[in-house]
Amino acid sequence: MIEKEDSIISEEEAAQYDRQIRLWGLDAQKRLRGSRVLLVGLRGLGAEVAKNLILAGVKGLTMLDHELVTEESSRAQFLIPVNNQGQNRAQASLERAQYLNPMVEVKADTDRVETKPDEFFLQFEAVCLTGCSRDLMVRVDQLCFEHNIKVFCGDVFGYHGYMFSDLGQEHNYVEEKPKVVKPKTEESNDGPEAKKTKIDSNETTMIKKTACFCSLKLALEVDWTNEKAKSSLKHTPHFSTTQSIVFSPFVPLFFPTVLLKFRTDKGRDPHPESFEADAMLLRQIRDDVLEAMGLSSDLLPHDFVSYCFSEMAPVCAVVGGVLGQEVVKALSQRDAPHKNFFFFDGMKGSGVVDYFGPK
Amino acid sequence: ALISKGPPYRKLADSLSACRVLVVGAGGIGCELLKNLVLTGFKNIEVIDLDTIDVSNLNRQFLFQKKHVGKSKAQVAKESVLQFCPTANITAYHDSIMNPEYNVEFFRNFMLVMNALDNRAARNHVNRMCLAADIPLIESGTAGYLGQVTVIKKGLTECYECQPKPTQKTFPGCTIRNTPSEPIHCIVWAKYLFNQLFGEEDADQEVSPDTADPELTWNPADTEARATASDQDGDIKRVSTKDWARSTGYDTVKLFNKLFKDDIQYLLTMDKLWKKRKAPLPLDWLEIQKLACPQEVTGTGLKDQQVLGVAGYSQLFSRSVETLRSMLADKGDGAELVWDKDDPPAMDFVTAAANLRMHIFSMNMKSRFDIKSMAGNIIPAIATTNAVIAGLIVLEALKILSGDVEQCRTIFLNKQPNPRKKLLVPCALDPPSANCYVCASKPEVTVKLNVHKTLVLALQDKILKEKFGMVAPDVQIEDGKGTILISSEEGETEANNSKFLSDFGIRHGSRLQVDDFLQDYTLLVNVIHCEDLEKDVEFEVVGDAPDKAPTPPSAQEDKNVANGNKDSAEPSTSSKGDYQTQSFEVSCFVTAVGAIISRSQPPFGPNR
Repeated sequence: MIEKEDSIISEEEAAQYDRQIRLWGLDAQKRLRGSRVLLVGLRGLGAEVAKNLILAGVKGLTMLDHELVTEESSRAQFLIPVNNQGQNRAQASLERAQYLNPMVEVKADTDRVETKPDEFFLQFEAVCLTGCSRDLMVRVDQLCFEHNIKVFCGDVFGYHGYMFSDLGQEHNYVEEKPKVVKPKTEESNDGPEAKKTKIDSNETTMIKKTACFCSLKLALEVDWTNEKAKSSLKHTPHFSTTQSIVFSPFVPLFFPTVLLKFRTDKGRDPHPESFEADAMLLRQIRDDVLEAMGLSSDLLPHDFVSYCFSEMAPVCAVVGGVLGQEVVKALSQRDAPHKNFFFFDGMKGSGVVDYFGPK
Repeated sequence: ALISKGPPYRKLADSLSACRVLVVGAGGIGCELLKNLVLTGFKNIEVIDLDTIDVSNLNRQFLFQKKHVGKSKAQVAKESVLQFCPTANITAYHDSIMNPEYNVEFFRNFMLVMNALDNRAARNHVNRMCLAADIPLIESGTAGYLGQVTVIKKGLTECYECQPKPTQKTFPGCTIRNTPSEPIHCIVWAKYLFNQLFGEEDADQEVSPDTADPELTWNPADTEARATASDQDGDIKRVSTKDWARSTGYDTVKLFNKLFKDDIQYLLTMDKLWKKRKAPLPLDWLEIQKLACPQEVTGTGLKDQQVLGVAGYSQLFSRSVETLRSMLADKGDGAELVWDKDDPPAMDFVTAAANLRMHIFSMNMKSRFDIKSMAGNIIPAIATTNAVIAGLIVLEALKILSGDVEQCRTIFLNKQPNPRKKLLVPCALDPPSANCYVCASKPEVTVKLNVHKTLVLALQDKILKEKFGMVAPDVQIEDGKGTILISSEEGETEANNSKFLSDFGIRHGSRLQVDDFLQDYTLLVNVIHCEDLEKDVEFEVVGDAPDKAPTPPSAQEDKNVANGNKDSAEPSTSSKGDYQTQSFEVSCFVTAVGAIISRSQPPFGPNR
């Protein structure tokens, strides 16, 4: 568990972190300052998460990515300066990432994440995986779960994005609630009425809580055909088409499921340069997934594929913001974490939190 | 860059490269927004911000580094963006958007305007300019973990001013001067004291005991009599606080004893006030010095979060007065200091004075950290909230540019998901309000005031500028002669300022035609003469729903609070000079899904 370092906050930190200390408190800031985070994947989403965590003031951030900068990727994220083609993506991001906050130890690691031994992951308090295959995410999550390391996964596919978190079997945190204050007496209209000296109504109290998470493996092992699951419909997000409205608790998982399958099959994400071929494969996978979910194939618009190519910068910003804040919350052990998925639909502007996994 | 490159999007990509957009503000939301815009493929971006970079910005305004502190935000933001996107065509203005140079023609250059502001005055102004130019405006705001984005399109949606917003909370003069009951009253008093001693003296910011306190008597006539009597009496009020202080050479002991002993003892003679309240306990300088013991620096907390004792704050008071006195002397004759929360002696002074007063009135003293929050209107801010909101802004922008404005929504960002599991809640946009005093076709308002007691200057500054958001109003009386009451041209109607409205024949039922040519805005003001407004209330706008605009309705933002970096220069929007608040708010739409984000600006000032 992250030990709160009982050390002094320097003047420099106090000045720079002032506006966030006023929000989440000094304790939380200290815990952040004691945390090392591993971030895998420095594409659009990864860059956003890197920025958010570095600005928050973690102890260290290791950016791991084996891919090289291409002409296209140099326009895709804001940490890589131009003319860095052919360089490793993590390496190319390092300088501007470090400039974001010199007080954080920012490192670049150019290895392929699949080749990293188990021990590598154990040096971190939190691990954040972007652009990774489903199998890798499951493996790393399992490993971290056993060692009380917080795990986060996230991806952006065009207009859609998701994040997943596994904070372990028992994640302890605090919530700050205002102390109840007696209402003040109203002044009457005819003549001066005495006001009682008010107690300071800004007092708050910290309440301890616990949240339990499940592994990614269990979260994704949903039984699509389970009758109970199908009928637990009341307040769940849904697709809407001109013909009909479909309620299903699994709908938000649809895009990540299809796109992760594509990634496993092709070893990459859909690419505009092979639009036709990739679109065809996507539709095929869509059909398979919808069938497995027990839904009809023609319920999604035919052009859904157009919305999942590339990483849209504003979608990376939204998902990266939510994901970044979840990491901050988990490391600082303050405020209720979202359990355990967040889904963002950039077309609609809706962002939902939902739980998938054993009850 | 990446927008999905399927065929439908080629057209969109082209229009993104071609269009010009304006970003107003280069702070928390602005930095994130600029980054998103260039990465999405926008090529022609203009950004304007009057502010300079402060170290407290660096936790979230990621385009800035420590070495940039003091420089123009707009300029540095542009340079930073060019590092990762050198082909972007960015124009940066280190200026206020309220400068008349940025007229309707200027706004018409853009396909879209996006606000990234932190104050209502500028938002009102940009709202009107975009209505006048008929350009879509994307409005947004964040505070802590919360945020909101919305789209404003003339004729289609509500404008920013269609829904009344909660006005800034203010306190009656007698509460500040005689009977404070909350720390904030003492903090406001301390800020007034700063202005009375070192800054611009303001008749609305008196600190001495108020003998005209209505609580002192049941009979309003009595109160009038007292007020007149004390004016004639030659008591403290006649000699300005600054003159008195100067006459003593800003002697800290004399100052301390006057404010925290003599004045308190005077208050104690007003025994009606203390019948049901705990009476204040005067302090004595010498007695406190005897108590003084060396302050231990304890613990691992922030130094500023410590709470000292009375002796400690007395020392702090004394030290800060001396520092401020010499700063004032250095500035030369007739100089004035402007309070700034980031100016250590100014902040020290308010911390000390407020705490001493709190102690006198039996309130627990507060740390410098807490007082700075309240005195400085600090709203906590983090990178992630701004990142999310700026992402949503660009997504709305894309809808507008694709011609899909009916897909646009107001989107709220909550801290926790609502019962329907939504963390981000999109809501349909509302149509314009028929009664809106800004965007309705012939807007009219009705104002209650006392024509014999309202100065022309007050009409201009407090009603037309502050309340109705105009920048440079021109006022004509609808008296058949078209008498010009106020001209926006400097000096033209200055002679009218110190006269009362009734001097111009304005009475119950009079109508005033008010124009702001910069905003291309005409407002008809109906005058209702009223002699019994509440104490400290100068005017009332009829139709302001009481629950939306908390009483008293005439809000007076603290004019002499120039928060933010000292170097920033805000062109005068009122004849009194500096007029800038850093506090910002998220607008207060209530949604069907129950997300109410409403932030009134923190309380200040009396309301007369």
